[in-house]
Parts: sequence; C-alpha cells; structure tokens
Amino acid sequence: MKKILLTALLAVVTVSAFAQAKRPTIMVMPSDAWCKTNGYVTEIDNMGTKVYASDYAAALGDIDLISVIAKLNDLMNDRGFPLQNLESVMKDINNTSAELALVEGKNGGSVAESLYDQVRNRAKADIIMQVTWDVVTVGPKKAVRYTLQGLDSYTNKQVAGASGTGAPSHEVDEAMLLAEAVVANMDAFVGRLQSHFDDMFANGREVSYLIRISDIWENDLESDYDGYALSEILDDWFYDNTEGHRYNIADQSETQMTLNQVRIPIYDERGRANDANRFIRDLVRYLRAEPFLIEDIKILNQGLGRCVLILGEK
Amino acid sequence: MKRLILVLTMVMLACTAVYADKKKKLNQDTDNFRYDIEYCQTASDGMVLVKVWSYSKRSDLAMKQCRKNAVHGVIFRGYAGAGTASHRPLVSDPTIESVKAAYFEAFFADEGPYARYVGSMMDGSAEVRKVGKEYKVGVVVSVNKEMLRKHLEDAGIVRSLNSGF
Repeated sequence: MKKILLTALLAVVTVSAFAQAKRPTIMVMPSDAWCKTNGYVTEIDNMGTKVYASDYAAALGDIDLISVIAKLNDLMNDRGFPLQNLESVMKDINNTSAELALVEGKNGGSVAESLYDQVRNRAKADIIMQVTWDVVTVGPKKAVRYTLQGLDSYTNKQVAGASGTGAPSHEVDEAMLLAEAVVANMDAFVGRLQSHFDDMFANGREVSYLIRISDIWENDLESDYDGYALSEILDDWFYDNTEGHRYNIADQSETQMTLNQVRIPIYDERGRANDANRFIRDLVRYLRAEPFLIEDIKILNQGLGRCVLILGEK
Repeated sequence: MKRLILVLTMVMLACTAVYADKKKKLNQDTDNFRYDIEYCQTASDGMVLVKVWSYSKRSDLAMKQCRKNAVHGVIFRGYAGAGTASHRPLVSDPTIESVKAAYFEAFFADEGPYARYVGSMMDGSAEVRKVGKEYKVGVVVSVNKEMLRKHLEDAGIVRSLNSGF
C-alpha cells in the first residue's frame, strides 16, 4: 500500500514539474527603420544594388536606445519577464565571428547569414520586441511618436503591438518624453502579448515546413506505399501529430509540399521546448522505419519556426 | 426630569436617523460610480494623471468621491484623452466586479485599500459645474497604476503576464 502511495505521489510531482511551462524569452531590438533614420546602417553592394543592413553594434552607442532598452527591461522585469540583452548577444556574435574568420581562412568557405538572423538565432529569443520612435515638432512643442512591435521569431508574424504619439509638450528633455511614451504604451502591448500567450497555450506554437525531394531520388511524393501516396501519408502524419489537427497544406505537387500554420505542441514529451526542427524529427524517424525505409532525409533549419525537409538527400 | 431626558433622547435619535438617511441618499449618487474619466499624462515612473468628473447633489461629496472614482475607472473602464491612444482597463473581464462584489466592496470602502494607490487632488485642478439639479465636479488626480496592478495580481483579480509559465 505504501509503495502504491509513494508511486502515485512521485507521478503527481513529475507531472506538476512538466506542467510548469517554460517562460518565452524576449529581446528588444531597434527596428530597421529607426537604424536607417539615425544612420546606424552599413551599406552593402549586392550585385550592383545598394542595400542597407542595420548596424546594431553602432546603434548600441546611442544613449536614447540604451535608455529605452533599460526602461523596457524594467517594465518587463516587473511583470516577471526579464529580457535578453542585445549588447551581450552582440559581443557573443563578435567573438564567434572572429573564430569563424579563422576557420574560413583554412577552408575557404563563407557564412551567409544576415546580422539580424545571427542575433535572432544566437539569442534564441521567442519574441523580438522591435522599437521605433522619432521626435515630432509641433510649433514650440515636441512630441514623441513611438511604436513597439512584438514579433514571433517562429513565424515572423506580429503578435503584439502598441503605438501612439504623446501629447505635445514644452518639455525640452526628449529623453523624458521618450520614457513617458514607453510607459504609456506598455499596457496595451502587454495586453496583446497576453492574448498571444493564451492562444499559444490553447492551440500550440505555429511553424511552417517545406518538404522537397532530391533530384537524385528515384521516388517522389506520389510514390505508392501500401496503397497510399507518400503525400497522403505525410498529410495523415501531420493530422495525427499537430495540436488540434491544425495545419494547412498551402501547396502540393509530386516534388514538393508546403505546410504553414502548423500548430505543434509547445513542449515535447520530455518537457523540452519544441521548435520546428525538434518536432519534425519524429516524422524523419517515422519515414526511416518500415514500410517506407527512406534512409536519406536532410533537415535544413531556417530559423526557429521553419524547416526544409529534403527526401532522398543525406 | 425623566420625561425631559426621554424626549431629548428621542429627538436626538430622530435627528441622527434623518441625517443618516440623507447621507445614505447622497452616497448612493457616488456609490453607483457615476463619473467620466479622461487621460491627462503618464509619468515615466508609471504614475498616471487622470481627470475625473463626478456627479452628486452636493459638490463637496462629489469632490470627495473623485479619488475613488479615478481608481475605479483605471480598473474597470479604461480611459482616453484627446489625440492620444486609449488605455485599456486593468481587468479584461467585465463581469469581475459583480463576481467579486464582496472584495470590491471592501476595496472601495471609505479610505479602504484603494486610497493607497491614488494621490491627493492636484492644486487648482478642481472645476465645479451645475448640471440641472446636481453638480459635476472635475479634478485631476494621480493613480499609481503599476502598484495597483500588482495589488490586483496578488489578489487574483488580474492575471499576470507570466501566469501559466
């Protein structure tokens, strides 16, 4: 009897431990528009076309940006969400870039990844809080026009936002106006973020997939396995494994299948945070087993919320 | 002598009853939370300045109720100002006031817990207008919205952002 009680107690404790969901990580970044307006960009010659990339290292020298990040950090901390620090992530990237440069010298290869993607992938932030502001002058008065967007790193969709122009004021100190704008817009932003979390808990995390076949593979998505086309088998797998059977086949042919609005469980069966890659590994194992025996399957990561699966390629 | 004391006691009791009844009627005007609320300014430390217009047949009572109404407005109604974005109320469930009626009755009791989150009226901000048979009194007060939100989160009235994590 004692053993049964002990086992039951242990089971309850284990379930409770896993039921405690992990807190999403959030990081503040300046928007591309703000970086460009304030001159924190680097010019890149992309095959004759000039393109601008945000220079976050230079932007972090802006005293206003630092105060906005600090204020947002304070406000989110008050709500139990300490933010990841952009400056620390930038330092980490610089160190890694130096290491990569040494490797590049030896192998002659190159790493093609934008700084934004590097920051996002390094920070592994679930949500990026993107800030933009400028000071509008109305006669002798000044006002701050401020926008805060919450972007889901998995889908790049905006999941929360707040914007507004503060009341014109004779206040000379723009930093004070900016701090007021940050505080005034925070409640609206947090309210929408709460709705996003509610939706995520109820319906799972949203990701997308592209399934393609290799040129050298002898089969395709219409190949028959026990009387079912491979595309049909994939469709069934997503139906069985997605949260609430929520997914959408946006495009399908014999060579490729695009799935979006795929809702995956927030955590895997071991309680680890799920992402597009971790979720699809089960499909890879399923396809490698009988009766499919598709041994060569390559997973290409495209951020936290998107994967490309190439069948027939190792 | 005994008769005189008895008569005096009865007169005093009657006066008290009449006064209490009158006060009750006047309180009803304000207990029903009849007010308008406008946004004025947000300070960088999370304090919010709002202008509250309260209605009553007695201007002093309306003015007294303005602080209570300001806190009520921040919690249940939200507010907006000319040319600025609207601010949502702290509670998103409109039924919570009736569901937790006992809690809010104690919270909004005279000089109850609500008083800790609202400042005194701004000097020179009071405006008194006669509207029909009653007074419309407007004053600017500061509400410590951050502390108020935390109080309501601790009381389980408002869900915190990290609830569920």
